[in-house]
Amino acid sequence: MTATERRPAVRPQIAALHPRRVELGLIALIAIVVVSAYGLASLGQSASVPANIGPFLAWMLGLFFFIHLAVRRFAPAADPVLLPMALLLNGFGYVMIARLGGDVNGGGDLAALQSVWTAVGIAGFVVTLVVVPRVRALAQYRYLLGICGVGLLALPLVPGAGVEINGARIWVSISYLNFQPGEFAKIALAIFFASYLVDAGGLIKNRIEIRDLAPIGVAWAASIGVMVLEKDLGSSMLVFALFVVLMWVATERTMFLGLGAAMFLAGGVIALQIFSHVERRIDSWLDPWSDPQDAGFQIIQATYSMAEGGLTGTGLGRGEPDRVPFAETDFIFAAIGEEMGLAGTTAVLMAFLILIGSGLRIAIRATRPFEKLLAVGLTTLLGIQAFIIMGGVVRLIPLTGITLPFVSYGGSALVSNYIVLALLIRLSHEQRTVTPAAQGSTR
Amino acid sequence: MNARIRNLGLAFIVMYAVLFAQLNRVQFVQADEYTEHEGNIRPQLRAFGQERGDIVTADGVVAALSLPVEAGEIDFRREYPTDELYAHVVGFQSLNQGAFGLERQYNEELAGDRLDQKFESLSDLFRDRDTTGTVVMTLRDDIQRAAAEALGERKGSVVAVDPATGEILALWTYPSFDPNLLSGLDGAAVNAAYTSLLNDPDDPLLAKSFRELFFPGSTFKLVTAAAALDLGGITLTDPVWPDTDRYEPLPSGLPIRNFGGSTCGGDLLLALQRSCNATFGEIGAEWLGPDAMIRTAEKFGFNADPVIDLPDAARSRFPTDYGAFIAPLDAYQPEGSEELRNGETPIHENSAILAQAAIGQNDVKATPLQMAMVAAAIANDGLMMTPHVVSEVRSADGGIYSTVEPTSWRPALSPFAADRLQAAMINVAEIGTATRMQVDGLTVGGKTGTAQLGTTPASSHAWVVGFAGLPGQEAEIAVAVIVEAQPGASEQTGGSVAAPIAKAVIEAAFGLGG
Repeated sequence: MTATERRPAVRPQIAALHPRRVELGLIALIAIVVVSAYGLASLGQSASVPANIGPFLAWMLGLFFFIHLAVRRFAPAADPVLLPMALLLNGFGYVMIARLGGDVNGGGDLAALQSVWTAVGIAGFVVTLVVVPRVRALAQYRYLLGICGVGLLALPLVPGAGVEINGARIWVSISYLNFQPGEFAKIALAIFFASYLVDAGGLIKNRIEIRDLAPIGVAWAASIGVMVLEKDLGSSMLVFALFVVLMWVATERTMFLGLGAAMFLAGGVIALQIFSHVERRIDSWLDPWSDPQDAGFQIIQATYSMAEGGLTGTGLGRGEPDRVPFAETDFIFAAIGEEMGLAGTTAVLMAFLILIGSGLRIAIRATRPFEKLLAVGLTTLLGIQAFIIMGGVVRLIPLTGITLPFVSYGGSALVSNYIVLALLIRLSHEQRTVTPAAQGSTR
Repeated sequence: MNARIRNLGLAFIVMYAVLFAQLNRVQFVQADEYTEHEGNIRPQLRAFGQERGDIVTADGVVAALSLPVEAGEIDFRREYPTDELYAHVVGFQSLNQGAFGLERQYNEELAGDRLDQKFESLSDLFRDRDTTGTVVMTLRDDIQRAAAEALGERKGSVVAVDPATGEILALWTYPSFDPNLLSGLDGAAVNAAYTSLLNDPDDPLLAKSFRELFFPGSTFKLVTAAAALDLGGITLTDPVWPDTDRYEPLPSGLPIRNFGGSTCGGDLLLALQRSCNATFGEIGAEWLGPDAMIRTAEKFGFNADPVIDLPDAARSRFPTDYGAFIAPLDAYQPEGSEELRNGETPIHENSAILAQAAIGQNDVKATPLQMAMVAAAIANDGLMMTPHVVSEVRSADGGIYSTVEPTSWRPALSPFAADRLQAAMINVAEIGTATRMQVDGLTVGGKTGTAQLGTTPASSHAWVVGFAGLPGQEAEIAVAVIVEAQPGASEQTGGSVAAPIAKAVIEAAFGLGG
């Protein structure tokens, strides 16, 4: 090759910067941020560098590097920002949980458990990448997944298996294993909705017949009904939003948005009549200070906590985020706001926006309707869930207990969110492998 | 489908933008409002439960310390071993009523929250160190105790200050309160104690020594005399006013009478020695005029924000509005008269008020601290130092975080006038109204005051201000004493009631007597 022949190749080379190299750089940066935050949190609390900083560093770098290698091996062409954003959120969350654990009796276990759950989540991520080589294959199990989804949702209602914790019956306890089946049900339902709508979408687009809507309607009603019975309003809203968004995107009928809003309002009014706790939630959203010791307590404490943080926060380990109930789970966003300030909460917000943007870009790039809808569904799950809890904590919308994806403490949530991430990365890899191959052949 | 997906993306951006806006509201726009919310106990609890440094007097008596608490979410509680003696200076730190006094003013230093305390060196990043600061007061326990004992159970205040540095040596007001009642862990008991103190008609929570204003009465004649010496062309010996029992103000107004209808006059030295109302009323209204009086009073710190390092000090005041200018004094002089007065002094509509103000009445109001600073400025050759109650903040291991260097606050009068006034005050203590503050072996200067409050029954504030030093040397202490609402209204009240208290304080300062 001569020099003159090479010149036009310069631009494509820059454009084709290997996504995995970008990802590795981002992951390295995030590892530095998270380890520094971990050290600072300990310094802030006890003015000492944590004794386990070495092992912690090694464990985290190991996990990060392992998941990066897995993507390199099983989905080398995938979008390079999805994974680093998830790891950033997971890392921030872990630091806060570890920091909170220092203050709460016996809470030290939570941090250890969360690190185990992170490892399990990452394992779930890798397993998903391995067992789902082509996302399209999932579509053939749609009815099985639909039934599984509803079944998983209903599991906590089974006498003997279900456990009610903090007013919501969303837990299943089988011998020493506790988990929230709802976290996994939402993925199964997203796949089912997406694949069913691909078939029915065309029909619905032209003329709507009750027959076409029946199975999806039944699945939706069942899931909503089950969740209302379990008093899990957050998940109920999430699945409802998922359903409406997918209907709208699949059928391209704006009518479904209006219908969805109407049904949501109707559902809200009915819930208000039936359940006292819904009314409490609305009241404490509108004016928490009318009942500061009871109904409004959590949200007021969260507000004080975040106000305390201000722009730059009290500093990690220097605040009192443990004054807010459920600071490790539902209210972890407030804990971040207190110790890392508006800067920290904005970083979390941006990380979710980047995740959403990447997810929707995958949806737009996808060529087949099922992949498109699934990408929309999975992205909606992450984006809406994060919005519901962050909006609830800052009193933008009524508070409904739900975890902040990747950040909150919780094994089921972490594992299920890593599975969502794996599916998005698988989708991204699939569509990108087509393009470079095509480019390669022209050269 | 792509159009819908883009719209969905837009919807997400809008949702998150609204979320971001609300975050800004909670964490920035309304953050201070939430932090100061009544129900938000975070700021108090954080400050309350933390270990804090001691507050000690200049001679090492511990006035406040932190004791560890075994159980509960509060780790430390505050104790005040000196009970009510330093309550108005040290203040207190309470769970639900906030912090007062030095506990509030030096909150960061006591808690060790300042950056220079947290990180003295790089190695502090890696070790657990006691960063709390010990606040060292300028107050001396011997002088403070003498002040409290001498005043006894009479309402009043005693202020002693080092004229050369502005260091406050004693700052006492009776009644005081026991800060231990307000620093307890039992919120309900604290609230009850606080409410009962708040409802006490004698207002023991109020540090009247620097937070309450009183008529200074005749002690204010020192300021008028300073103005006369600096701006009125008057010396201690010239002119000589004829004896009279009253001053009839221009252009009109109630006459200013001497105490008990007595007649007096003479030169400035004698007028000060006898505390002659008529003479000083005339000097203020007809020799000096509004501008000179206001300028001098403000040079002494009246109408200025107080500079003491304690919260909520009151601003002493001197009236500034005397109505429209009417004519120079000459216009009132009979043709060809040989008056002593300065014919150019401007006469205003309300010059009668100025005559009253010149003897510390009408709307002149001063804190006892302000009057102590007047005496201190005179004793310090005219320069008023910045009054302060803290000399330094020490670290737990005895090092020094910060030192309060003496600074001058304002030049109050010329060194010449100060020198003349020192002589006049020494004269007052030797043969005038303040002989009861005389201490053997010391050079003492003083000026009494009796600010009448009413006539049925007759009562008045008894004042004395003064200074003391070794013979032939600079004064080492300036004092102001006020005993509130004493029965009777004789000019002798200040000398008989307040002067012995000043004497006891001076003796304590020099290690004499009791």
